[in-house]
Amino acid sequence: MTEKLNVFAVRTLTQKEYFAPGHRACQGCAEALAVRLVAKALGRNVIIASATGCMEVVSSPIPFTAWRVPWFHVAFENAAAVASGIESGLKVLMRKGRLPRKKIVTIALAGDGGTADIGLQALSGALERGHDFIYICTDNEAYMNTGIQRSSSTPFGASTTTSPAGKVKMGQITWKKNMPAIAAAHNIPYVATACPSYPIDLVEKVKKAASIEGPAYLHILSVCPTGWRSAPELSIKLGRLAVETGIFPLYEVEHGKYHLSIDFPRLRPIKEYIRLQGRFRHLTEEMIGQIEERVRKEYAELKEKAAKGVAR
Amino acid sequence: MIPITIDGQPVEGKEGENILQVALDAGFDIPHLCYNENVKPYGACRLCLVEVVRRGRSRMTTACTYPVMEGIEVLTQSEKVLRARRMIMELILAMCPGDKLIQDMAKQMGVEQVRFKKDDNKDCILCGLCARVCDEVVGAHAISFAFRGDRREMVPPFLGEAMNCIACGACVVVCPVDVIRMKEEGDERTIIRWKRTLKMKQCKVCGNYFAPWFQLEKFKERAKLPKDFFDVCFTCRG
Ligand SMILES: Cc1ncc(C[n+]2csc(CCOP(=O)(O)OP(=O)(O)O)c2C)c(N)n1
Ligand code: SF4
Ligand code: SF4
Ligand code: FES
Ligand SMILES: [Mg+2]
Repeated sequence: MTEKLNVFAVRTLTQKEYFAPGHRACQGCAEALAVRLVAKALGRNVIIASATGCMEVVSSPIPFTAWRVPWFHVAFENAAAVASGIESGLKVLMRKGRLPRKKIVTIALAGDGGTADIGLQALSGALERGHDFIYICTDNEAYMNTGIQRSSSTPFGASTTTSPAGKVKMGQITWKKNMPAIAAAHNIPYVATACPSYPIDLVEKVKKAASIEGPAYLHILSVCPTGWRSAPELSIKLGRLAVETGIFPLYEVEHGKYHLSIDFPRLRPIKEYIRLQGRFRHLTEEMIGQIEERVRKEYAELKEKAAKGVAR
Repeated sequence: MIPITIDGQPVEGKEGENILQVALDAGFDIPHLCYNENVKPYGACRLCLVEVVRRGRSRMTTACTYPVMEGIEVLTQSEKVLRARRMIMELILAMCPGDKLIQDMAKQMGVEQVRFKKDDNKDCILCGLCARVCDEVVGAHAISFAFRGDRREMVPPFLGEAMNCIACGACVVVCPVDVIRMKEEGDERTIIRWKRTLKMKQCKVCGNYFAPWFQLEKFKERAKLPKDFFDVCFTCRG
């Protein structure tokens, strides 16, 4: 609720930067902003395994690094597997007295491609084994680092280089994979969605995830002006619109119980969100109507789950 | 750069920094509840207690209020520190027995039972963060400490409605034990603990309630903004 106007609340966050400026992210990249806020929330005692993707590439152009905390660049598919190893390693070293006992948070960080597609198996394994770590998916809804190829997290209707809009097809023909629901289905203690347009909400969710024992999964919608064909100065607004139209609701799933973080008495028409993005330029009224119908239905289902306070 | 040692490890601090900040930045774990780098240290919770050795003399002090000085040795895990810290934790637990964070911290330090009188009606740990943030970050000066000794309390003026409060929620975010709550119903927002209810402004374009009137008026006054500046909400403005 503090999200409605947070000019002062954000000024109580640390001014330290653990994801330092000077990285190579595009102008208006909300994925970089998400990572910066995540790093602020976690502070100093953290080890990050970062799958390849935009956030890895922009933060580590040899010989530089934007990371002021221990950070590994791992393969595209194994962020969760590496994080499992780090977490187990820390546990053993502390048990043997080779490291002082203290809280060190283990993080796996990956894009939507690295999470919903190629990294899904490693992720499922790590969640199922119950490692004490946080998996953070920064979802910009395509493989942006390699030039805007579709992923299973790309929304219906979006034009990408491998789901191009043309005479025959109108962009992506499948619906976005529901990653938070997949994570929640592993019966883990904490799952949440967030968006850097709502910074306090995001930071509090990261802190909560860090304080919980066992696996936590955070899914962060990250506006990508380059891949979404949107103006860089609109990234924050687009994040807000994604939430206020019901396209990307903010919620938590704690031990299977759903809870909406922000609700709106009335959702905005999705057109407000769609028409600011070149990737949806070709959509007909009919398709927009089709998407809107689906968004409303899914939102209603989510609200119902939250109202009942029950799982899955 | 000011060289010091913490638990035998050489560390560097900057002029004007306090021991707690330097230690946290270097990755040391010192428990603390009333420190926020954006407001002046206050030394209220006493949890960040450390032993400081300077010119051969040792003293116990709160790390958040002690400036880094060349050559000091800081001990964060000495027997003396651990014993004092456990006692402080026990006292805080007695003040706020129901809070999860406090319970977890106590458990981690091995504080299992409380030998002091627990007050189940009280929940605030008197850290003063809310008022410091309200004064120094927000500039609203809506709340303050009142009374002394064991009757000390954080309250709005005269225990009534906090008339200077702009319902920004900054105190809601910083309270370590989460006892300041905010609620929104219809066109009203309430900061429950400070008994402050404000009417919300409706966006001319989308019709959503987006911020309290009183707050927006204050902003316009302070930043000399045009009268219609807040007629539309942040999302609609673009
Ligand atoms: C096994 C493997 N296949 C393909 C690649 C090439 N590759 C690197 S990053 C990337 C896409 C990353 O997409 P995503 O995970 O969504 O992150 P984003 O760049 O969008 O942040 C691909 C295909 C690779 N590094 N390894
Ligand atoms: S909500 Fe009111 S009391 Fe709290 S920080 Fe803002 S102005 Fe001060
Ligand atoms: S209400 Fe919360 S922030 Fe304010 S003094 Fe009490 S514990 Fe501290
Ligand atoms: S953090 Fe130093 S006294 Fe509370
Ligand atoms: Mg991506």
